[in-house]
Amino acid sequence: MALNKEVYKEFEDVVGEENICNDPAIMPAYFSTEFAAVILPGNTAEVQAIVKLCNKHKMQFRPICTGWTGMFPPGIILLDLRRMNRIIEINEKNMYAVVEPYVISSQLQAELMKRGLNFCIKGAGTNCTAMLRGHGHMDQTTSGDDRNHLAIEWITPEGDIVRSGSLGSSDEWFCGDGPGPSLRSILTSAVPPGVTPGVFTKAAVKLYHWSGPSAYPVEGISPHYSLSEIPPNMMARYFSFPSVEKMWQAELKIGESEICFELMGFNISMVAANITTSNEEEEETFNRLNKEVQGPGFFVIVVGDTPADFEYKQRVLEKIVSENDGKSLKAVEDPRIEGILMCQCTRISASIRETFRNGGAFNSIPIMGQRDLTIKWAIGAGKAKEPLIEKGYIVDDGGAFFGWGVEQGHLGKTEIFCKFDPGNPEAKAAVEGWQKEQNRRAFTERYFASTMGPQDEIGPALLNYHLWWQKITEALDPNGVSPSGGSLV
Amino acid sequence: MALEDYRGDMEMCCRCSTCKFIPMQKVKGAQYVNVCPSIAKYNFHAYSAGGRLNIAAAMLKDGFKYTDKLLDIVYNCQLCGACGVSCNYAMDMEVLQPISEFRLRCVEDGKTNPALDKVIAGLQKQGTMVPGAKGKRGDWATGLKLKDATKEKVDVLYHVGCLTSYDKNMQKLAKATVKILQKAGVNFGIAGNAETCCGGRAYQMGYKEDFLNQAKKNMDMIKKAGIKTLVTGCADGYQAFKVLYDKYNLKGDLEVLHISEYIDKLIKDGKLKLNKKVNLNVTYHDPCRLGRLGEPWIHWEGKKVPGDRFVFDPPKEYRRGTKGVYEPPRDVLKSIPGVKLTEMTRIKEYAWCCGAGGGVNESNPGFARWTARERIEEAGSTGAEAIVTACPWCEKNFSETIKENGSNLKVYDIVELVEKAI
Ligand SMILES: Cc1cc2nc3c(=O)[nH]c(=O)nc-3n(C[C@H](O)[C@H](O)[C@H](O)COP(=O)(O)OP(=O)(O)OC[C@H]3O[C@@H](n4cnc5c(N)ncnc54)[C@H](O)[C@@H]3O)c2cc1C
Ligand code: SF4
Ligand code: SF4
Repeated sequence: MALNKEVYKEFEDVVGEENICNDPAIMPAYFSTEFAAVILPGNTAEVQAIVKLCNKHKMQFRPICTGWTGMFPPGIILLDLRRMNRIIEINEKNMYAVVEPYVISSQLQAELMKRGLNFCIKGAGTNCTAMLRGHGHMDQTTSGDDRNHLAIEWITPEGDIVRSGSLGSSDEWFCGDGPGPSLRSILTSAVPPGVTPGVFTKAAVKLYHWSGPSAYPVEGISPHYSLSEIPPNMMARYFSFPSVEKMWQAELKIGESEICFELMGFNISMVAANITTSNEEEEETFNRLNKEVQGPGFFVIVVGDTPADFEYKQRVLEKIVSENDGKSLKAVEDPRIEGILMCQCTRISASIRETFRNGGAFNSIPIMGQRDLTIKWAIGAGKAKEPLIEKGYIVDDGGAFFGWGVEQGHLGKTEIFCKFDPGNPEAKAAVEGWQKEQNRRAFTERYFASTMGPQDEIGPALLNYHLWWQKITEALDPNGVSPSGGSLV
Repeated sequence: MALEDYRGDMEMCCRCSTCKFIPMQKVKGAQYVNVCPSIAKYNFHAYSAGGRLNIAAAMLKDGFKYTDKLLDIVYNCQLCGACGVSCNYAMDMEVLQPISEFRLRCVEDGKTNPALDKVIAGLQKQGTMVPGAKGKRGDWATGLKLKDATKEKVDVLYHVGCLTSYDKNMQKLAKATVKILQKAGVNFGIAGNAETCCGGRAYQMGYKEDFLNQAKKNMDMIKKAGIKTLVTGCADGYQAFKVLYDKYNLKGDLEVLHISEYIDKLIKDGKLKLNKKVNLNVTYHDPCRLGRLGEPWIHWEGKKVPGDRFVFDPPKEYRRGTKGVYEPPRDVLKSIPGVKLTEMTRIKEYAWCCGAGGGVNESNPGFARWTARERIEEAGSTGAEAIVTACPWCEKNFSETIKENGSNLKVYDIVELVEKAI
């Protein structure tokens, strides 16, 4: 819906003329979507005023932080939250940080590392917002997803300000569940169609202890960064195992003994992507490393609080790995590679190499849940990739999947993706077909209910959650200003 | 290569926003994380490199629809190349080249910026990028009895550059350079009134034909005079002679050095001694076109290999900013007794631009100063008393911004400090 001059003026009065635009020239930059306008609010009050205007004129809107993901219908108002970029508070004592939407994870993390703290950073990378929930490389110790959201300042779809958790009854951000309204299941929902409507304008994220350096000693010129030395009491290794079962057993034991700061179940293709600086080098490295590994594996980072603690953790790790016939990948024992991976995988800065560098696109099936079950499913999904690899539709990564333990293995994440050239329609169709089929198989064979699957099939198997969610959103959003679809991560 | 040749690169853009920031591993805190002045100032994604590529790709597909906003986006970019460095940490794709080609296309289509048109008219008339320049190009050298490199045999041609030649406040840089070269006993000359603009800034502004014109004039003169080595005092000039002339196969085997590289060599060869103390805490600003954009051109032609990857036959080597000139100016500063160098957060390949490039100095001086202000603040945060650069355009923009906004920070070109030390 195009904005008429009067309505445009009303929005403009809120943010100033330099912070609203509906010129067609900018639209291809924004998801190639013809938005009614893109608006750049600068604070909570402006977001609230815009949302109220959207209700007044029955205009749909959707916010973005850095805007890497998201699917947006044309004709809506896009709230680009770029100007809301302040770290409001880092509370070392109560271990939380309060951020606005456009604080990127690398900013917050750099500040935290100086204070001996860290937080859960989405595997997408530190270039994304620090505010939205997600899961990533450090989940082993930093947990993942909504577990890390504490109090939130939320503009509801109708334009009211709701302060959840402890913020609802005080000016403290330390808890998401109270004293004050706990809206956790609504606010941090990421399961389509359960995308939280409205706009988070500030959120507190949980912080964790970090015994690594206050800053990594990165040297070299891009893209050849490395560490001048491995920080004391730190180590990174990649272990491969003769079978999925052995890998999984080792992963469980490592979780139980709480010895690894990070356990990231990279497949070897992802290791190759991370440590190389071009596509050609990556392909050559993958072929070389693929011969060295004995099967599936994972990458770990050990951080000792003291030299004694470090030594203890190393010894336990060695024992677990050897009991499960694991083998350390020689390439990662080289301090240069070890340093690169250690830094990249805590300062989450090379995911783009793993995903987009090859062909410009990837389609993925990510699942949070019980690792042993999802791994079993992923083996089948990997096998199903083989014909696509043979036909040259997708990049040959050996059909591999990946994943990791969350909260020392209490939960787990498994993911599998296909990298392809989006300009090749046959490849695109083949990948989408694969995705659909593997989601279907996951559901019909009772591995899990993929959030990407059809809601009317999955919903009834899950207590009709989708209908309940629909009722909730209708109540929250009587004017229907929140478009359906999309995802919170 | 034309814009069309970068279609594949533009379509590779995954909209990750990395081009807005310094490389993630280099982020040291909440501050000084931005690397692209354009998106930092204007905020709409369209002003970022990714946004620019998406727009250009859409225009190739659906036709060029010019609006005032589009031109505002196109001309409010310093073409500083920081976006490409950050993107190319992870991605194999061209970033700055298509942005630059898009600008050239606008000019070709007559969609120019009036302020830049004026500058180019001046170039066409007077052979300089300093509009309304008074006097002759070689006036600054009156009485210095320098060799005329177009007539006498010299080992080195010192190409002075437009701003240093014509701007009364910048001529001190030429004089300092002369003193340094004389002290080191270099057999050098200048072209005096026969010198003409390198054309580099015209190219940044989008005027390719004017650039090529200047390049041909310069290379004709250089070939005729039998010059083998050219030293420039200006980062724009350095990039023009070294990189752009090479890109258009005009450079031949001319050796091109920036004055900071040349001084570094003179010091290391024992020909220049810096023995006077200059007690000063400084920080160093990498000019874009000496640093990341000073990286040599790589000639390449190839075809995409059909299939799942964005790879080429023969393989393409990307210019990721790795081979820019970063150490020589730092080594020179470190050899000046009494000078203490403290680095800013954004340095070398991911340095923040001074703001004066890409025609912004002329088309939108307010934006140029805004960009400089950010750098001056960053320089101040290191505790330095002075910001040292290696390009007169940076120095001018910093000095004028300081004058406008007030700051105790002093601004020097590297040759001014070397002059003090000899
Ligand atoms: C290569 C790649 C790898 C990824 N890997 C992971 C991974 O390992 N783990 C993981 O968790 N995720 C992953 N993701 C998804 C990732 O979490 C998101 O891309 C990332 O969090 C997006 O951050 P952003 O700043 O770009 O958010 P945006 O793209 O701006 O927003 C994401 C969604 O949240 C909504 N939203 C944005 N701001 C607000 C707000 N203030 N209030 C309410 N809703 C809002 C948006 O409308 C959109 O639907 C990956 C994505 C990519 C592209
Ligand atoms: S240009 Fe590069 S860094 Fe910028 S959004 Fe596109 S892919 Fe990402
Ligand atoms: S060239 Fe410089 S100003 Fe232009 S988009 Fe890239 S980083 Fe921004």
